[in-house]
Amino acid sequence: MELIKELLYNSGKPLGELYTWAHGIWAGWGAPPFLLDLIFQIVIGVAVAAVVVLNALWIIYYDRKLSALMQIRKGPNRVGPLGLLQTIADTVKLMIKEDINPKAVDIFSFWIAPLIIFIPTFAVFLVLPFGKGLIPADLNIGILYVVAITGLTVIGILAAGWGSNNKYSLIGGLRSAAQIVSYEIPMMLVILSIVLMTGSMKMSDIVAAQSHYKWFVIPQIIGFIVFLIVGNAEINRAPFDLPEAESELVAGFNTEYSAMKFAFFYLAEYTNLFLTSAIAATLFLGGWEGPLLPPIVWFFIKTYFVVTILMWIRWTFPRIRVDHLMEFSWKYMLPIALLNLVITAIVIKLV
Amino acid sequence: MIFTEILDKLKAKHEVLESKEDLGVLNAWVSAKKIKEVIGFLKNDMQFGQLSFVTAVDLMAANNIEMVYRLFSYETKSDVVIKVKLDRAKPEIETITSIFSTADWHERETSEMFGVKFLNHPDPNRLLLPDGIDMPLRKDFKCADMTPLPKV
Amino acid sequence: MTTKAPFELEKLSNDEYILNMGPQHPSTHGVLRIILKLDGEVVKDLYCDVGYIHSSVEKMCENKKYEMIMPYTDRLDYLSAVNYNWGYALAVEKLMGITVPERAEYIRVMLAELNRIMSHLLWYSAYGMDVGALTPIMYAFREREEVIDMIEGMTGGRLTHNAFRFGGFRNDLPKDFMDSLKKFIGHFNDKIDEYEALLINNIILTARTIGVGVLSKETAINYGVTGPSLRGSNCAIDLRKTAPYSIYEKFDFKACVGKNGDTWDRLKVRMDEMRESTKILKQAMEGIPAGDIMAKVPKIIKPAPGEVYTKVESARGEFGVYIVSDGTDKPYRIKFRSPSFSNLSVLKEITIGSKIADVVAIMGSLDLVIPEIDR
Repeated sequence: MELIKELLYNSGKPLGELYTWAHGIWAGWGAPPFLLDLIFQIVIGVAVAAVVVLNALWIIYYDRKLSALMQIRKGPNRVGPLGLLQTIADTVKLMIKEDINPKAVDIFSFWIAPLIIFIPTFAVFLVLPFGKGLIPADLNIGILYVVAITGLTVIGILAAGWGSNNKYSLIGGLRSAAQIVSYEIPMMLVILSIVLMTGSMKMSDIVAAQSHYKWFVIPQIIGFIVFLIVGNAEINRAPFDLPEAESELVAGFNTEYSAMKFAFFYLAEYTNLFLTSAIAATLFLGGWEGPLLPPIVWFFIKTYFVVTILMWIRWTFPRIRVDHLMEFSWKYMLPIALLNLVITAIVIKLV
Repeated sequence: MIFTEILDKLKAKHEVLESKEDLGVLNAWVSAKKIKEVIGFLKNDMQFGQLSFVTAVDLMAANNIEMVYRLFSYETKSDVVIKVKLDRAKPEIETITSIFSTADWHERETSEMFGVKFLNHPDPNRLLLPDGIDMPLRKDFKCADMTPLPKV
Repeated sequence: MTTKAPFELEKLSNDEYILNMGPQHPSTHGVLRIILKLDGEVVKDLYCDVGYIHSSVEKMCENKKYEMIMPYTDRLDYLSAVNYNWGYALAVEKLMGITVPERAEYIRVMLAELNRIMSHLLWYSAYGMDVGALTPIMYAFREREEVIDMIEGMTGGRLTHNAFRFGGFRNDLPKDFMDSLKKFIGHFNDKIDEYEALLINNIILTARTIGVGVLSKETAINYGVTGPSLRGSNCAIDLRKTAPYSIYEKFDFKACVGKNGDTWDRLKVRMDEMRESTKILKQAMEGIPAGDIMAKVPKIIKPAPGEVYTKVESARGEFGVYIVSDGTDKPYRIKFRSPSFSNLSVLKEITIGSKIADVVAIMGSLDLVIPEIDR
């Protein structure tokens, strides 16, 4: 009982003890320690993968139920209790479907694209602080790593657009490239102002800087709003879903994809949604900090709060036009983010 | 505007071959060569701003294809019908696309349905029908691969 | 249907490419093919290719008796079938000199206006989908369902009603029709405000539609554009007003007009039109007399030789029926003048120079129904 409580509220300590204890036994067997580290890393990787998949299953269900609520309909309610198994049924369907390779595709980029898109989203989970000490890899450059890794997604989308050998896909891919590149900059500026306030890029430090409920959402309210908008654009969700604008480009960059390759795109989209929300929760809403409930629960509550906002936006607004999208980024988001950064810097210097 | 008034004005400027009143609307027959001037006159001088439609009727007994142009005036709220009799063997008429842009599509449709050739048409392609079906709205049209349903 | 390419590939400059939009495309509302010549995202030229679902309705009608043609008119524009029935019934009645009893005229007006609301609600939903808003459809369909239930109660059909008979109706209104109509009128205006708040006045949508696809009054009339698309160009032409048929003179309503003729004005006109239709419905509900619903009509419909053209204001514009009768029980020639046919032909004029996304937005604002283009 005590152990479970300890695990939930202060996960770092028991996990650290487990690590030292295992190393002690390992050394007693006379085996090289790096092998144990490797095993630990594999276990962590599998755990993260489990979190990613389970979370994606749930978030898709949540999106469908929430949109149903907003659209005065019922949503999935046939498979399993309350339709909870719907996503699993869909996944199984996607897995057993025929994987179609159209004749004209560039087979290499066509195959590699879903992987390039999916792997970064998976990799970013490594630096997410789920709870106190519960962080798969607490890198010194945590937030920079996040920005760098998520930037890779654009290559995948471009590859998908080009490899499909379809004009709709190509337009979608190019739109996406332009969009992600131009929205990356205001996003980094906002993150930079957070880094200015904490003086560290380590995720755990950023959370620690907000302890005792000094959440950055108060001083950085402009940054928070900009981050939400820009983050929403980064992950290509409505109203910024131009790369896959259904009514214009059929399905954009994933027009030609089917079966599991399509599932990867789908999974990546929802995982990205979760990631952006999780980062927003970490940077602005105090991460896992909160009263009574265990940190990991608070982390998910905050993340899903942001997820809900993003979904709400998605199901309300029509799609923005491509030139307005660019204008919006360069003429509004970038100056606001820049101004926010400058003000942050001045205030920090003065205080 | 009642139909006699329209007819008088039209007759003063252009030759009207034949005319009659049908349910209160003037039907005037003009010659095929004059169609452009007549329609232009009706539009510019008599405020017939809308071309409702252009079509044709196959009068097989008289060996004619009759072009029907129906115009409507938003100002005077009156209709006028201009008709042109064309030779069924070689129906040809000048296009009026330069006067009414809407005539473009209507003429293309009439062209493929009745085999009327519109001279100087800017886009003389087919509109609705695929290649291989010609003049289906003529009365003697026989579809090659159409088998009638059995009588029950 | 064109078999030869409208744009020659050799003549394209290095920046240009051809994009085939349709015949199977989510936002062409049916099987319409638009061939776009693009420079990046900018439309340089476009060509409409229609005729994929041409079914030769006019030829079929030439081989059917007059009363058998009524269901065909439903299928032309499945979204405002009542108005199409009416246009055809009006033509035959005019040809035969049948006077419709007043109660039947009132019922016709009520059905037609309900049908107009039904059609505009579907347009609103589809337009939301076109511009990427996925929620409006659910809200509009909530009210559309009420309207359909009412019409279904009267005619038995939910989409293709085949409601009209020459000279009136076969059945009177069902008992609960007036109650449901009253209930519907009571809350529908608030719902229209809700729709406007959700989509039409949304800042993203206004940015996308104001000043886009400007259709001037002259161009519109020259291309034979009618209906809400024409009225959006500040041109108060509504056949119910300008060339009143049936008993529309008795009702107090206005022809809604837009200001600049851009896409947003066309949207706004349709929203306003639903309000006006509600007004007409209210007046019709209060003024409906008792009496016959069917005129004396001969058993065999055999009009005298002659020809007739009647037009009604359908949800999309002027729907006209031109009948040439040769005195037999089948029409010698029948021509349907459909509004979408002319409305689509203006697309090229107003789209060139805008973006791909605008093509969808403009096309949606013209409210096309493909079967009535192809017939």
